[in-house]
Amino acid sequence: MIEKEVTILNRAGLHTRPAAILVQLASKYKSDFFIIHDDLVVNGKSIISVMTLLAPQGSKLKLKFEGIDEEEAAKEIVEYFNRGFDEL
Amino acid sequence: MKFLENLIEIRKDSIDVGFFYESCHRLFGLNLIAENDGFSKKIKDYSIHRPGLALAGFLELFSFNRVQIFGNTEIRFLHSLEREKRIQSLKKFFEYDIPCIVFSNGHVPDEDFLNITRDKKISVFNSNLPTTKVVYFLSDFLDDQFAPQVTIHGSFVDVYGIGLLFVGRSGIGKSEIALDLVERGHRLVADDLILATRKGENVLMGTGTKLMKHFMEIRGLGLINVEKIFGVRAIRYQKRIEVLVVLEEWDSQKEYTRTGLENHTTNILGVNIPTIILPIFPGKNITVIAEIIALNYLLKHYGYDAAQDLKKRVEKGIQDRMNQKYERAVDYFEHDFE
Repeated sequence: MIEKEVTILNRAGLHTRPAAILVQLASKYKSDFFIIHDDLVVNGKSIISVMTLLAPQGSKLKLKFEGIDEEEAAKEIVEYFNRGFDEL
Repeated sequence: MKFLENLIEIRKDSIDVGFFYESCHRLFGLNLIAENDGFSKKIKDYSIHRPGLALAGFLELFSFNRVQIFGNTEIRFLHSLEREKRIQSLKKFFEYDIPCIVFSNGHVPDEDFLNITRDKKISVFNSNLPTTKVVYFLSDFLDDQFAPQVTIHGSFVDVYGIGLLFVGRSGIGKSEIALDLVERGHRLVADDLILATRKGENVLMGTGTKLMKHFMEIRGLGLINVEKIFGVRAIRYQKRIEVLVVLEEWDSQKEYTRTGLENHTTNILGVNIPTIILPIFPGKNITVIAEIIALNYLLKHYGYDAAQDLKKRVEKGIQDRMNQKYERAVDYFEHDFE
């Protein structure tokens, strides 16, 4: 299992568009992907769940990856967070 | 994106005057005044023409190859001339190769007019309707006759009043979905071979061929007649094509929309048809999804878009959090009292 911590960098936060892309990225991998934010733990492959996070700029999220391709999944998804969802 | 490849556009380039008369007689009671051996003449233009100026002698830009409508103005003008002049004017007019003549307002041509048209083998009709109505009906009819057409391989069903056109490779189950929808009370327009034609600028109409209407082939069963099995409630003859549903085998490498925020369209005969790409796999209930596609389209039509609504809520939620208005995802669980 891999655990990472990421910060939301873009101004608009984790809104619908990045949520949809996040889910699409995660769905390419076999590994489970969870996002933990405040009191919520959600499945990162479900669009409704990811949107429910309502994470604004500056929030810190914990990401959990578990499965045979967890390394690759973690790498790509963490990178996407670090790029500020390509909205910087 | 391209889902419908090799659509071959067909367009009539002419119709016979005889066919024109039979159809218009049936559709809105066009009367025959004199056939004059003119039924084999061709109408090659979908527009119609009011020849007022041409009768008055202005023959530049005279659209002689169109159906000519004689309304009150033309009749009044001709009657205002002395007989000699009138005949002269008409002779000049009929030097052109005119397809046919229609009188509106129940006007009937005089003997001179009929003599000239007989010489020139031009059929003459009349209608009791006022000119604007005649123009409207004839334009609509000719527009339809000369409209571009394509044939599409698919299944076409009216679901809750929305025309859903299913396409996809053969054997993917289009007919089965159509049949399932019919079973649930929806109406089949056509299966397998669908003729689509553009009506006006923005409407695409679909129908089946005369021969195959409401027949269907089910693999392993053969041909069935949906109208005979389910009765008249299960069919309709034509319907506007409103949504294109592209059925595909689920491809794990391909990304499918998760939010529905993007709106895809497919261009058919210049009309942009909203398009949904639906991945299918065993156990997925496409029939129910098809009903939801129709209902969601209706909702959007009436101004509600679920994806946009949720998007706005998310944006507002993120804003509120920025302003430290922290709320739990569910604010309060009551006891289980309802």
